[in-house]
Amino acid sequence: MQNKFTPDKQNIVSFSLMGPESGGPCLVDSTDERITRIRPYFYDTEYTDKHCNPWTMEARGKTFSAPDHVTITPFGLGYKSRVYSPNRVRYPLKRVDWDPNGERHPENRGKSKYVRISWDEAAEIVAKELLRQKEKYGPEAVLCEADMHGEGKNVAPSHGCPNRLLSLMGGYTLQMRNMDSWEGWFWGAKYVWGCEPVGEMAPQTNLYPDIAKHSDMLLFWGCDPETTPRGFGMNLPSRLCYWFTELGIKSVYISPDLNYGAAVHADKWIPILPNTDVALQLAIAYIWITEDLYEKEYIEKHAYGFDKFVDYVLGREDGVPKTPQWASEKCGVKVWTIKALARKWAKSTASILHGNGGPYIRGPYSSEPARLEVMLLGMRAVGKPGVHQAKMLEWNLWNRDYPVPYQGQFVPKITAIADPLRPVAGDVDPIINMDRFVLTEAQKQRAPELVELFKQLPAPKQFIPRCHIHKAILEGHAEWRGLQCFSSSQQPDANNYRHPTQQYQFEEMQYPREGLSRVHMIWTDAPCQVTCWNDGHLMQKAFQDPSIECIVAQHPWLENDCYFADIIFPVVTKHEMHDLGNDLSSGGFTSIYLEEPCCPPVGESLSDFDVCAKVAEKLGPEYLRAYTGNLSEQERVRFFYKATGCEDYMTWEEFKKQKIFVVPCKTKEEVENLPAGLYEFYADPENNPLSTPTGKLEYYATQIAEFTPDDPERMPVPHWIERSESHDERLSSPRAEKYPLLCMSNHGRWRMHAQCDDIIWTREIETMKVRGKDGYLYEPVWLNPKEAEKRGIRHGDIVKVFNERGIVLCGAYVTERLVEQTCYVDHGSRLDPIIPGYLDRGGAINCITPTATTSKNATGMAVSGFLVEVEKVTDAEWESWKRDYPEAFARKLDPDAGVCLAGWLLTEDEMEAQA
Amino acid sequence: MKKIFVIDIARCSGCYNCQLACKDEHCGNDWRPYAAPQPPTGMFWCRVKEFSHGSIPKLRLHYEPLLCGHCDKPVCLGACPQGAIDKRDDGLVIINPDTCVGCDICQQACPHGAISFNAMTSTAQKCTGCAHLLDHGAKLPRCVEACPTGAMRFGDISEFDEKELEKATRRGNVYYLNIPGRFIAGTVYDPIEEEVVIGAKCTLRGAQGGAVQTDDFGDFWFENLPEDARYTLDISAEGFRPLHFDGLSTEKDINLGDLPMEKA
Repeated sequence: MQNKFTPDKQNIVSFSLMGPESGGPCLVDSTDERITRIRPYFYDTEYTDKHCNPWTMEARGKTFSAPDHVTITPFGLGYKSRVYSPNRVRYPLKRVDWDPNGERHPENRGKSKYVRISWDEAAEIVAKELLRQKEKYGPEAVLCEADMHGEGKNVAPSHGCPNRLLSLMGGYTLQMRNMDSWEGWFWGAKYVWGCEPVGEMAPQTNLYPDIAKHSDMLLFWGCDPETTPRGFGMNLPSRLCYWFTELGIKSVYISPDLNYGAAVHADKWIPILPNTDVALQLAIAYIWITEDLYEKEYIEKHAYGFDKFVDYVLGREDGVPKTPQWASEKCGVKVWTIKALARKWAKSTASILHGNGGPYIRGPYSSEPARLEVMLLGMRAVGKPGVHQAKMLEWNLWNRDYPVPYQGQFVPKITAIADPLRPVAGDVDPIINMDRFVLTEAQKQRAPELVELFKQLPAPKQFIPRCHIHKAILEGHAEWRGLQCFSSSQQPDANNYRHPTQQYQFEEMQYPREGLSRVHMIWTDAPCQVTCWNDGHLMQKAFQDPSIECIVAQHPWLENDCYFADIIFPVVTKHEMHDLGNDLSSGGFTSIYLEEPCCPPVGESLSDFDVCAKVAEKLGPEYLRAYTGNLSEQERVRFFYKATGCEDYMTWEEFKKQKIFVVPCKTKEEVENLPAGLYEFYADPENNPLSTPTGKLEYYATQIAEFTPDDPERMPVPHWIERSESHDERLSSPRAEKYPLLCMSNHGRWRMHAQCDDIIWTREIETMKVRGKDGYLYEPVWLNPKEAEKRGIRHGDIVKVFNERGIVLCGAYVTERLVEQTCYVDHGSRLDPIIPGYLDRGGAINCITPTATTSKNATGMAVSGFLVEVEKVTDAEWESWKRDYPEAFARKLDPDAGVCLAGWLLTEDEMEAQA
Repeated sequence: MKKIFVIDIARCSGCYNCQLACKDEHCGNDWRPYAAPQPPTGMFWCRVKEFSHGSIPKLRLHYEPLLCGHCDKPVCLGACPQGAIDKRDDGLVIINPDTCVGCDICQQACPHGAISFNAMTSTAQKCTGCAHLLDHGAKLPRCVEACPTGAMRFGDISEFDEKELEKATRRGNVYYLNIPGRFIAGTVYDPIEEEVVIGAKCTLRGAQGGAVQTDDFGDFWFENLPEDARYTLDISAEGFRPLHFDGLSTEKDINLGDLPMEKA
């Protein structure tokens, strides 16, 4: 008899949520077709150190080594609860009062419930609707909302499969992802130092060994190393922070909250009001300039337009010197602390660390703090040993090399089968951004079986930036600058450097394009718009707009935008399918691994790829053939492996047995002498220019001066902007009389954006949810005890966070960890609409974030640092909502997981009543 | 042979992996005769507790994972009228899920609050040290294996440094290293010039007191002080009138805030 303590099978499955890349591998045990446990993978189980050649860093007599196992995160450990979540979409669903042949009731989206239908019926309805839309309006009538992040799947990716099918049908309107994680860098920092494509410092080569050797202070500016990196890979940043402390490097945290990194790693916490960093930065520059504390010689050789910057800082431009006194009133940091920080920084060798920047570069006018940070680094001679801007996640992304010395001998690249973010026809060189989606010549030779599948499909002809979707739908048009394709350029040259394409950011764009249709149908595989993007309440109104005749969603879980869909397709999780996983950036080793089903698909769910194949089948056999390339899921896994080139190292047969191939690291000699960061620019700017037009650090942005010289929201020299046409979100605003708190919103501690809100074991943790007196698990809103007291709010009270854009209900989390005049809610909590477009019980704080973009010429989103008020919900108000919206309050909730499928299915009684 | 847990609080990042790994292993999984399933939520065999110290901006957190101490002389074992509790040769203490009748006496007897009562099955339940895994080839309990920073260790007592263990705070055979003591901290500044005072001499008198100088931020910290001790603090700097504080009690951590020093 099988020992019950030995699982029936053990698989390797990734747990990263940063799809398309899979991230760190985990061991998943299952017995009786059910997952029993999820554990970290240990590299030394199959590989000796001799094979992996683990990387090390040495500094000040201490050594930091690659971890011998995947430093798993809470998301991986809790994922079993997500696979078996009561929130899973178990079978195809149709909104009960949406009749494709009769009344469609768009106004009831977000309110009406769903009935189960067969796969056959669901696929037939969608195929017919696609054909109808195409015939009536043209193919561009269908907006495809597909985007990055999601489970890290490769042969059937979470995002982009509908794009593939729609391309075969003749086109669609593309939803273009704005640079959501990099807004300030992309729309600001680039104009100072180039650093294509996103404006964070590049290259990141060997930064951590260099910091360990040379830095004596680290500024974690709006950075939480114990939060942001967790959804992307591993806990390596946590280990690095402990090591830096051991080395005697001082950690200074600048943020409104004592974030989770600061709570355990900070030597000094400098609290600051949200989105006021510009004031602090300008005052630091003021001290350095007036006290002669900056690297003058470096600035002379490396900077352009520094005199104009000095004019602004000293007040020669506007009559207002940016003194510490001036700054203190705006940012809330004490005058003496500002001066002390400026002088301490001036005598230190300091680097700035980031997740990606989070709320620090995701507020109104985020171009400004991002530009100023680079300028301050410039005044400290950025590129000098120990003086860098370093990232704590996405270590493979964009960069020539890695900040930790763990480059595999080669990158086992898996080409993406679907193309959610391709450039639009005619806008940019088609080669740009496409290298992810086409086979290289070498891959073609290795795996000719894939050539048909990767046949180039026509590019879409129209797009809408994701941050403009709601306005585009409701107003029927939209205008913006730039963003022709995600990140402007991802086309590397021979050195894997990215080409500068800044001018694309200024081009005037519009929707709809001449001769092309407005959007009348939406197909989404990324249904998180209402909780992750700007003004989620407005988005809900757009979903209810009569111009939208059909909404299709495909997702493993019934959440967020799904409640507004007319047809919902059930999708499997990674644990229920065959795939080829790849870990390129979690920070341990580069690896590629064979993922096999740990359990049967939950309900009638299919992979994203097969969902679209079902629709393709209804369109006709020629569509099905073209869509699938006549390859099954397991065949794709086989041939994808072939294409990687790993067979030169491990045969397919052996790979099937081992299930993982860890790419050996390069030798120390190959890696350790690569210049760290911008060292070459530091040492010889003439011969190693930046990609800015002048080749230098531009304190006066020549491109802004050329293309939009009169933009008061983003001038050639970065400014403190009190208010403007786009935004009025300062404490000095008249609006602050009604909405006196600046709301900050971070990446979630217990979520990866909208993912993992339903893990029942994290929901028990005090900082994840607050149980209200009604038993509901509310999203916490942090409040300083003094602000809570002023409002008569006690820890655990049900409160409303609100402004003109509506109300979000939260649970009060009263804590010393947040400064006064502020409240804080993580983004990504699942929507639970009481009044769609106005009142949310689920704590989706993005429902009430600003509608306007970063600034008028910066097409990003502003989702932190905006005005709200927080009040206790009175019993009278509560009763009136319950009286007026009984159906919304009557929806069934799971006591542990919260909103769930059962709450949105028509009950038997309701079905009978309808009959 | 005696298995122990060693937890270095100075390396605990508060990630909650230990708490979650325990849930993943035991919720919904039946490991009889070692343990019956833990209820899906609401019960914690390994619970991370958060402790907050001080106030803005001298504020810190520390976390302590709390689990069964697998005591040398388990009080629960002695208290159990059914003989359902067993101390194994390796030191782990197991409540036999099939013998336990749910009288709840052990829960009340446990000095560490480590035993929970499962109302659904009417049995007492707690951490097993993942004995079911150790007996079948695993080296570590799930909580320890999942710890990303190396803060949590597990093994035979002989494998650990005796001197390290001597300094630990014990809850049974769970050894906690570096649980932070109380602190007294503040910032000194000149209110006229609006400058921090660097190098001010701060002298703390009382148990484990001492002298430090304010740093580049004008900050001073006295750390790891005993609880409930009383202190006096003198701060002096050239050209300033000295400051004196009496009766500082470390009942709680003390952030004295931003302290103005007047020019002499």
